[in-house]
Amino acid sequence: MPHIPLNETLPGIRALFDFRPETAAPLCRLADVLLHQSSSLSRADRELIATYVSALNDCRYCQTAHGAIAAHHLNGNEDIVLQVKRDYLSASISDKLKALLAIAGKVQQGGQHVSAVDVNRARQAGANDHEIHDTVLIAAAFCMYNRYVDGLATWAPTDPASYRARAAAVAEGGYNRIPSDIQAQVQTAKSTTAWKV
Amino acid sequence: MTGSMKPMLLSEVEHNPQPSPHTDLIRRMQTSGAEYPQIWHLFAFRPAATDHLSKFTQEIMRGEAPLSAGIRELIAAFTSYHNDCPF
Repeated sequence: MPHIPLNETLPGIRALFDFRPETAAPLCRLADVLLHQSSSLSRADRELIATYVSALNDCRYCQTAHGAIAAHHLNGNEDIVLQVKRDYLSASISDKLKALLAIAGKVQQGGQHVSAVDVNRARQAGANDHEIHDTVLIAAAFCMYNRYVDGLATWAPTDPASYRARAAAVAEGGYNRIPSDIQAQVQTAKSTTAWKV
Repeated sequence: MTGSMKPMLLSEVEHNPQPSPHTDLIRRMQTSGAEYPQIWHLFAFRPAATDHLSKFTQEIMRGEAPLSAGIRELIAAFTSYHNDCPF
């Protein structure tokens, strides 16, 4: 049960976005820049970085939600997502993504764990400074999102199908629409309840 | 760069600032030879992303809320201390 009263119809970070729309807007826009807007890193790779960090932080909602979005970008291949979470070094992904995941994992332990050796390995695997920068920012931002979601004990759906359905919409439409989508959903729920009463 | 400041791991981040308020601040400090926090380079490198972080920080730290700005800064300082982040 959440530590504070939240809209029970909304899972995970969506309930928090509904609770505090003023902070939700910049958090969604940041996610959109990092994960959805154009970049030399594919959307699948960026979602895999977010998923991996969320798994290390043991955040069930975020790792399942972003794992589903990553799988959507990988033509529904959920196996790669599982491989990355279990043992990314033996996953069917590029050496460049492996080197970036190593950096993301260090950020999750603490920013000062990232070393010049990690950065040079990523460069040798073909990553440029922009990609290394964004990897660190995605990892750092997801440590924040993960702690936000679990620090207030939001609920996470157990049915994978509900994540897949939402993943398709976010993968195609991006993150900027989320606050207005939530508002619309809450309004619909309110009018339905009013009708019942 | 001023004498006691170490080069950043990503030289492109340090040397390719985009037009932004932080870029102007960095130039001013460099001209005067004063030290400045290198987080400014992060904000100058990728303003498309970090502008949203600034807006988020402004809202959570200074937006209308029952916690005073002082208490909020204490929470931030306390957390940064435990994360071993001196800045």
